[in-house]
Amino acid sequence: MSLRLRLLLMIGVSLSLLWGGVAVWMLRDLDDEMRRTLDQRLAMSARMVAGLISQNPAAWDRRTGTAGDSALTVPATAKGIACQVSSLRGEVFARTPGATSAAIATTTPGFAEREIDGERWRSYTVEAHGLRITTADRLAERNTLLRDVMAAAIVPFVVALIGSLMMLWIGVRSGLVPLERLRQALASRAPDALTPIPDAPMPRELQPLVDTLNQLLERMRVTISRERRFTSDAAHELRTPLTALKTHLQVARITRGKDAEMALDYAEEGAARLQYTLQQLLTLAQVEGPFSWDETQRTYANEVARLAMRDAAPDTPELIVLDSDGPPVELALPQALAVTALRNLLDNALRHSPAQHSVRLEIQSAQDAVCFHVYDSGPGLSADELTRVTQRFWRRDAGRGSGLGLAIVVAITERCGGSLALAQRPTGGLEASLTLPRAKRESPLFPSTPQADSRP
Amino acid sequence: MRVLLVEDDDLIAHGIQAGLRARGLTVDGVKTAAQAEAILSAVHYQVVILDLGLPDEDGMSLLQRLRADGMALPVLVLTARDAVEDRVAGLRAGADDYLLKPFDFDELVARLHALLRRAAGRSVAIIEQGALRLDPERGQVSLNGHPVVLSRRELALLAALLHARGRILSVDQLKDSLYGFSEEIESNALNVHIHHLRRKLGADLIETIRGVGYRFNMGDT
Repeated sequence: MSLRLRLLLMIGVSLSLLWGGVAVWMLRDLDDEMRRTLDQRLAMSARMVAGLISQNPAAWDRRTGTAGDSALTVPATAKGIACQVSSLRGEVFARTPGATSAAIATTTPGFAEREIDGERWRSYTVEAHGLRITTADRLAERNTLLRDVMAAAIVPFVVALIGSLMMLWIGVRSGLVPLERLRQALASRAPDALTPIPDAPMPRELQPLVDTLNQLLERMRVTISRERRFTSDAAHELRTPLTALKTHLQVARITRGKDAEMALDYAEEGAARLQYTLQQLLTLAQVEGPFSWDETQRTYANEVARLAMRDAAPDTPELIVLDSDGPPVELALPQALAVTALRNLLDNALRHSPAQHSVRLEIQSAQDAVCFHVYDSGPGLSADELTRVTQRFWRRDAGRGSGLGLAIVVAITERCGGSLALAQRPTGGLEASLTLPRAKRESPLFPSTPQADSRP
Repeated sequence: MRVLLVEDDDLIAHGIQAGLRARGLTVDGVKTAAQAEAILSAVHYQVVILDLGLPDEDGMSLLQRLRADGMALPVLVLTARDAVEDRVAGLRAGADDYLLKPFDFDELVARLHALLRRAAGRSVAIIEQGALRLDPERGQVSLNGHPVVLSRRELALLAALLHARGRILSVDQLKDSLYGFSEEIESNALNVHIHHLRRKLGADLIETIRGVGYRFNMGDT
């Protein structure tokens, strides 16, 4: 239901009910008041007639109770009103011409109502000075008068109600104009537009809504532009080895002998690079995405070190020197992630170390974390490079590595609540410290979901 | 025809150089913007292939600076950036052509020849001079309608002389367009190639200007 319809219905219905109730109340009051007033007038006119007759004794003989020599004549009055003067015994001295005898021939004083000749009359009888005076109103006349008064009172009421409803409609319409403007502004935007809503003057109530929308749009814009940059970077990273691969394959086709063989070797190198970059991209997507790992398998620091060393230097295990303290410690993250993170650090260390120089891996266990230190004897990184080295696709030299290794390590630490610190060693080379959280459980009683609470 | 390739990725650079050499072009490769600038000021090239993602400077700003310094060589930009804005920006910065990685090698060669052709003020791919007909892109030569088989160096030499349109080219200029930096040149190599060309195409086709160099005999002087 639209906001406008809702407002109109709510206010309109309550306004009509309120006004209707007041009108009914007022009409009932008016009806009562009118009847009382008319009755009073009936009684007053009866007493008035009695008073007048008592001042004119010639009209009747008090002792005999008969009509006197001076005849009492009553002129014809308006239709619907009657008056009769009679003795207590029932002799009629005077009567209005239109009045039927039966109509006013009551004997009991006070108000009475009866039907004569199909018409209802209301009468009032008073007894004074030995006379009985009765006045009567025809009820049909009275009701016509009542209806007229009611109508006169109700018509302005209805007009005012209709007027109010119209004003309400106009008011709600114009009151909702800013909302409608906002709706149009939103509807006319391109579906992928992420620019803020123009800062037009807004009612105070709408401003927070517009502000929130703009904040949301800004957040979306930042996210989308970051994703776009990543996609474009990723495309670039994939295109480079693909270009090498394609070029060398085409060169192999147009050359012969040794040249062609060399081109094929190069093409293979390009394919390997493409495969490596793709693998790293997939790993990053998995680490950052909603994917889950096998978490029933327990992860031990020394096992992680062993697997990472095997992966980083499968043919030259002597290049990595392990220096571990104490017993195996359990880690609070899936083994595959821990191995990937450590292997990437070892890869980097080996890649940047001079040929045949070994890399040292040290494992330190603390209360609630395990720290893997990787020391290499490479050229290290400048302060500026240290700030950029974990950015995706940042590399010092083109063609070495995918530029994703450290970004993956950072993504893994963010996922599991660890950290990565890189520092230039005073003796030259780089020290990379990977801190991973220890598992909280002490006993194997709770084999499942111990990692869930330590993950962000 | 001598080409400068500015590309920081070794693997791609190897491929392009090997391919272009196989297609009879002389290629030098450099990996950074600084090297490119240095070599461009020292050696005369006919065309430059420029990768935009260089380690020391963006290829686009290098191109802008070179153009501002008055370098008029045709430049083919090679890049993985495929957005329309990137292409427009590249052309505005002074690129003559734009090729997206990964490219088709034949297309690269065709575009290079097209650039050279336009730089030489010709609108057709084939150079005809009297009875001689040269298709530089395919490396095919014919004389009076009969195909003539030329070696890679001979082709490059003939193309350089034809491009000069009768201007005299010095021995050094000719050597520049025939040999890359890394290639060993024997002292009389050029003479040998000139001799072979004269033998295959007619003795009066190439004139020797004593003490200066060589020129193609256009037949009207």
